[in-house]
Amino acid sequence: MLKRTSLLKRLFILCCGKGRHQLLRTSLFCIFLSLLAGTILLLLLDKNPLEAYTSILQGAGILPKGRYAGRKSQLTDFMSLLNYTTPMVFAALSVAVALKCGIFNICVSGIMVFSGFMATVFVGYSNLDPILAKVLVVLIGALSGALVGILIGYLKHRFNMNEVVVAIMLNYIISYVVSFFIQTRFIDPITRQSVAVGQNARLTLFDHPVGNLKMEIALVFPLALLAVFAIKFMLDRTRFGFELKAVGSNSKASKYAGIHVGKAVVFTMLISGSLAGLAGVSYYLGSNASIQPRVLPSLGFDAIAVALLGNTTTIGSFFASLLVMVFDCGTTYMSSRMQVLREIAALIISILLLFSAIGIFFRNLADRYQQEAEAV
Amino acid sequence: MENLVEFRHITKRFPGIVANDDISLAVRKGEILAILGENGAGKSTLMSMLFGMYAPDEGELYVRGRQENITSPLVANSLNIGMVHQHFMLVENQTITENIIMGIEPKRRKFGLFPVVDLEASHEKVHQLSLNYQLEVNPRDKIEDVPVSTRQRVEILKMLYRNAEILIFDEPTAVLTPQEIESLLQTIKALRDGGKTIILITHKLDEIKRIADRCAILCKGKLVDVLDVATTSIQHMSALMVGRDVSFTLEKEEHERGAEVLRVENVSVLSLDHITTVDSVSFSVHEGEILAIAGVSGNGQVEIADAIAGLIPVKSGNIILSGNDITNASVRKRIEAGLSYIPEDRHAVGLILDFPLKENLCLKQYYRPPYSNERGILQHEAMAELGRSLIEEFDIRTSKGNDTLVRSMSGGNQQKAIIAREINLDSKLIIFVQPTRGLDVGAIESIHMRINKLRSEGKAILLISLELDEIMQLSDTILVMYNGKVQTIKRANELTKLQVGEYMMGVHVEKN
Repeated sequence: MLKRTSLLKRLFILCCGKGRHQLLRTSLFCIFLSLLAGTILLLLLDKNPLEAYTSILQGAGILPKGRYAGRKSQLTDFMSLLNYTTPMVFAALSVAVALKCGIFNICVSGIMVFSGFMATVFVGYSNLDPILAKVLVVLIGALSGALVGILIGYLKHRFNMNEVVVAIMLNYIISYVVSFFIQTRFIDPITRQSVAVGQNARLTLFDHPVGNLKMEIALVFPLALLAVFAIKFMLDRTRFGFELKAVGSNSKASKYAGIHVGKAVVFTMLISGSLAGLAGVSYYLGSNASIQPRVLPSLGFDAIAVALLGNTTTIGSFFASLLVMVFDCGTTYMSSRMQVLREIAALIISILLLFSAIGIFFRNLADRYQQEAEAV
Repeated sequence: MENLVEFRHITKRFPGIVANDDISLAVRKGEILAILGENGAGKSTLMSMLFGMYAPDEGELYVRGRQENITSPLVANSLNIGMVHQHFMLVENQTITENIIMGIEPKRRKFGLFPVVDLEASHEKVHQLSLNYQLEVNPRDKIEDVPVSTRQRVEILKMLYRNAEILIFDEPTAVLTPQEIESLLQTIKALRDGGKTIILITHKLDEIKRIADRCAILCKGKLVDVLDVATTSIQHMSALMVGRDVSFTLEKEEHERGAEVLRVENVSVLSLDHITTVDSVSFSVHEGEILAIAGVSGNGQVEIADAIAGLIPVKSGNIILSGNDITNASVRKRIEAGLSYIPEDRHAVGLILDFPLKENLCLKQYYRPPYSNERGILQHEAMAELGRSLIEEFDIRTSKGNDTLVRSMSGGNQQKAIIAREINLDSKLIIFVQPTRGLDVGAIESIHMRINKLRSEGKAILLISLELDEIMQLSDTILVMYNGKVQTIKRANELTKLQVGEYMMGVHVEKN
């Protein structure tokens, strides 16, 4: 008997099945699904979904708002979006690079706190020349992140310790040790956070006058863009990138081929760690200026889902970061304009991250349907 | 005598191979029926269908005169069919009793309310069972603490606990020492005398001769004959098992072997759990010589190859390649010193399945010019060039050439890719481990010709295989291993296939 594949299945295969750009199509399908889920949520709350999504885009500076406060415009909104996106790009790259080598780096949050704290303590409270201070912040951030990364890689390689367990423990250790020092030495009694760092050390210029506008300028955003292309080049074109990917796909075969697996793991974690460190300084000395004790930035964990949404490619991670931050930045405006609670808006982002994490499942499901369809 | 199980015109196909071809066979109640055949003759497949792990493509199965559709091991269990697998199916960190009662645990109610597993009663029951069948075990021991022979007894008890009437043993002696084999054979006999029906899958003729009542011989998926063991000679059975017509023979040119390339001196290797898998093995391989290591699976052959290639550490002894001591050298140093290795497991070790073909073909050379420059940048064009020439030269069939994902290629072509890569290294020593495993006849033939050609070119070749035919056909020197030790090492023309088989089973021990 001939069994016909149902229309729904065929549509699904079209979205996620084998063929050109399967990865991209699946990611877009995930985004579509989460928007659909958000739509249902908004309809249940009796809000107009189209208007809500428009206001998100307006809030993020992608679409023009109806009117602007003094010295603000669509451009200032967009620049602020870039400012918040910068740490996410670094963090997502950090996760993606580690995943390419088969390592699940969930220590991004901990590394962010560590590198942010180091830069704050060594440079943030100094009176150094602004240019020198900023360069130092970036260097210290990358370096301290790299140190933690190497530690994880070494423990994994030398003692065969599971990197997830190590990372979870390090997250706690870093978080508590750093908050101990903040609360005993650097606490601001009013905000209950660390004392804000000086403007000279911050990687973001706030209320910087450009023409008749005042905008936020993320100085390290170009560095994030550069990192995207540098990592892409490393993975695609260099000898080390080849070894990294080989170890990630089959470490036994890599050993057999003469690749030094341990060295590849440690170097990968060095790179991943320094990227997480850069995320830390661009977060704690960029879009923020102080560290809240005993709180791990959720951005470090969101980055895992963002990297997955971007199919653990570099370019993909960049655009996924941008997308998630559009939602993140736009929701403030949406909640104030549509009287939707911020939590609801945050929920939509969570749904997006959830769907992005199951993209692999969709791909496999579509492959299976496709095989069934071909078998019939 | 009544037929307990009947296979009627059973056919089972796997992609590219007919594993069982129209097999009709009856198993009588209360007998020991041996299923004899070489590796890949279809013995295990046939029994797996009786145990519900595969479904036959054609034909019917009758159990106790009724046609049964055995769709899973659970169904087989309910028909009182039990199987001891070659690889034990036991939970290491549970006790023997827990393993035996697993799935059908007796329950009692604590305080008349909470159901708990009645372990005490179970221990007692297992103890009784082991006494009844003279299979001594301590029910409270954990599996991880007991030796292999005890584990096997646990597997047998597991079947008996489930009231199995038909017991299938899949190569039960492959993992045992001679003494343990002796006691197992006694056990099997005792089970038969106790009224059980036994099916014994094996390729060891002496065991069949000693305990089996009848013997069914499979060759290349076909049932050749069913013989009465008492009235048949070992020679006759072996001739039937191998098949009279050897399909093709290699033209091997005679030539003197050249200089020594590889020398292995008293090498011992420990497994991860500190068991000696290779015990003080010495041999050497010369230019233009094929040295074959024969042995039943798991007697240390693969570990020797891994140790020479540097994948596992050597406990003691020396490995010398072309005059250089490489005992503790890195894998890459060994490759550069002139070592090519075609590993046993082409998926897990030989290839990176998610890499395109050209990168797999370049896997051992990507780091040096012309495939990367001195600054560490890959030269994709040079890689593609190499890929194209190897695909052409070795006739690797692909859908997209260089960019084909290796995962999507057929087993034969994957093996060709590995061999192409290793031969291209132009090493003095080439190690082949099971080079033709799972391949069809055409691919096997071309690989054999390739190995023979390398011999003529003056390469030193170490061939490790479970296929006796392959070894007899190709080798100049044969080394037989048993329990990690060298059983014998002789010129190939001084040994017959039967003799090699006897050495493999540990029948003769060479005094030296």
